[in-house]
Amino acid sequence: MTPNVTTPGRVQQAIPGQWWKSTQLTLSMTTQRRIVKGIGNVLLLLMLLWTAIPFYWMIATSLKHDKEIYGYEATLIPQQPTLANYATVFRETPYLLFLRNSIIVATGSTVLSMLIACLGAYAIARLNFPGRAFLARGLVFTYLVPTSLLFIPMFAMMSALRLTDSLHGLTIAYLGFDVPFCTWLLMGYFKSVPVELEEAALVDGCNRVTALVRIVLPLALPALVVVTFFSFTHAWNEFLYAHVFTSTNSARTITTGLANFMSADVFFWGPLMASTILSALPPVIMFLVLQRWVVQGLTLGGVKG
Amino acid sequence: MATSTPVSIPIPSSRPALSWQNRLQRFLLLDSTLGYLFLLPALLVILGLVAYPFANAIVMTFQNKTAGAPGRFIGLANYRELLANPVFWRVIINTAIYTGFGVGLKFFLGLGMALVLNQERMCNNLFRSFLLIPWAIPTVISALNWRWIYDDASGLINNILVRLNLIDETISWLSDPHLAMLAVIVVVVWQGTPFFTMSFLAGLQAIPKELYEAAEIDGASVPQQFFYITLPRLQPIFITAIMLSAILTSASIQFVYILTNGGPADRTQIFPTMAYNLALGGAQRLGMGATVSLFFFPILVVFIIFLTRRMLREKGE
Repeated sequence: MTPNVTTPGRVQQAIPGQWWKSTQLTLSMTTQRRIVKGIGNVLLLLMLLWTAIPFYWMIATSLKHDKEIYGYEATLIPQQPTLANYATVFRETPYLLFLRNSIIVATGSTVLSMLIACLGAYAIARLNFPGRAFLARGLVFTYLVPTSLLFIPMFAMMSALRLTDSLHGLTIAYLGFDVPFCTWLLMGYFKSVPVELEEAALVDGCNRVTALVRIVLPLALPALVVVTFFSFTHAWNEFLYAHVFTSTNSARTITTGLANFMSADVFFWGPLMASTILSALPPVIMFLVLQRWVVQGLTLGGVKG
Repeated sequence: MATSTPVSIPIPSSRPALSWQNRLQRFLLLDSTLGYLFLLPALLVILGLVAYPFANAIVMTFQNKTAGAPGRFIGLANYRELLANPVFWRVIINTAIYTGFGVGLKFFLGLGMALVLNQERMCNNLFRSFLLIPWAIPTVISALNWRWIYDDASGLINNILVRLNLIDETISWLSDPHLAMLAVIVVVVWQGTPFFTMSFLAGLQAIPKELYEAAEIDGASVPQQFFYITLPRLQPIFITAIMLSAILTSASIQFVYILTNGGPADRTQIFPTMAYNLALGGAQRLGMGATVSLFFFPILVVFIIFLTRRMLREKGE
């Protein structure tokens, strides 16, 4: 690293304590770039490890026999990999029931909230009526109110309506956060569809309803896919409502079901880790497939933090 | 019917019916009618599943309601009891620490990750996909996995530390009063960093390359480019991401519930878990639980209102 002063241009006075404001860094641009690149690669390696290790431990544990999991013979790498834990999950636990419940609730609430949200978002994005701005504000506001402020009165309400411990009840409860969320996201996407296309359709004899169905929805199809993904994973990953509103396995979803495995007397980490991997796969696969659009969608108003 | 209006008999009935339908159709297709009609289902959902429960929560804080029994009005007794409870003060401090450190660390790690991923490199897309996966998996699963990593006897961390002869006795990460909060925050950060990474990465990619080229010609060093171009350009995203994360982090129950359930000795108790334990664990005091939640609403609402305005402005409302 030869110090040189080949950097052209203005030369500022160095300000003590604010070294970065000074141009008089004695490193050439290429050297600076190389250093930044090097630091970047090291950081990337650390971050990959930080992200990977918990996943590794999850997968490794799920492939071990109990004697490799607990006690003095515990290993870091499975010596005799086995799928026995996966077999246990399917044969001896109600995992498949939880899986079925999760699929029903996530699909049901996603379909319903997409229907409701498409209409609502279109109204806010395109139609002109008094109170529109107020309703838009109300939607964002409700989207931001966390469920942990609402679960106690919701529990009381669901109990009074006899909707606890039922998949219908859970599906309905999920609409409370899914609908404002989907409406908000779709609103942004609908606004990005050029108004001119719709105006042309209106002139050609479409009305608002047919314009929505024939022009706006097809053009916003990628957005619909992404929002469906968000809504589905949101419901799939939800824990608090599922945990509070269910008390028997018949209506438990994966998240609360697995949390309940843990509070059973015996910790069976092998099968538990196997079932967590199985439960994480659907959202992860969907995420990897839709990744590019998901990242774009996030900039339109954030999802979960 | 027909006899009372004999005039209508000779006229083909389709005519007046059509005009009636037409008028209804035209009325329904008015922007304002259609607007309310389209928003009606969403409004019903919000009223029934957000507004009503919320109002109900406020009522409950003045009642001694328990699960399955109607509540009786008891004035401010819940509030008084809560303020006299030392655990509640502990919870306020815990929630602040948990949220502050959690969001802060997520922010810096996320910014670092985004900057690194924004560099040009082979297979960068692959690395990006991988680093974002913790965001996609259910939080409960991250929490369960980490609970196993922290396990006293056979967890990964103790396993490695013992192998390396760094410790003689295994460390109880989740039941040591000094370590428990730290251990929980680590999990929150692991799970939540990708959200910041994604937001910042999108922001970084939106900065025009010309700015950096121009700065370079003017002789700006790499740190200068970072502090004078990158940071100011990202600032709006910073604020939105931090506020959103602060709301969701402070209100998230899964991590604490699964890792420690508030223990040891309420060292990791935060407001959602305290509300949960009061309302649904043991005595089922719904009124008391609602009071705990509601206490935090004024703080949250400041964030929520601010963020609502911001998000609407960004979308040109």
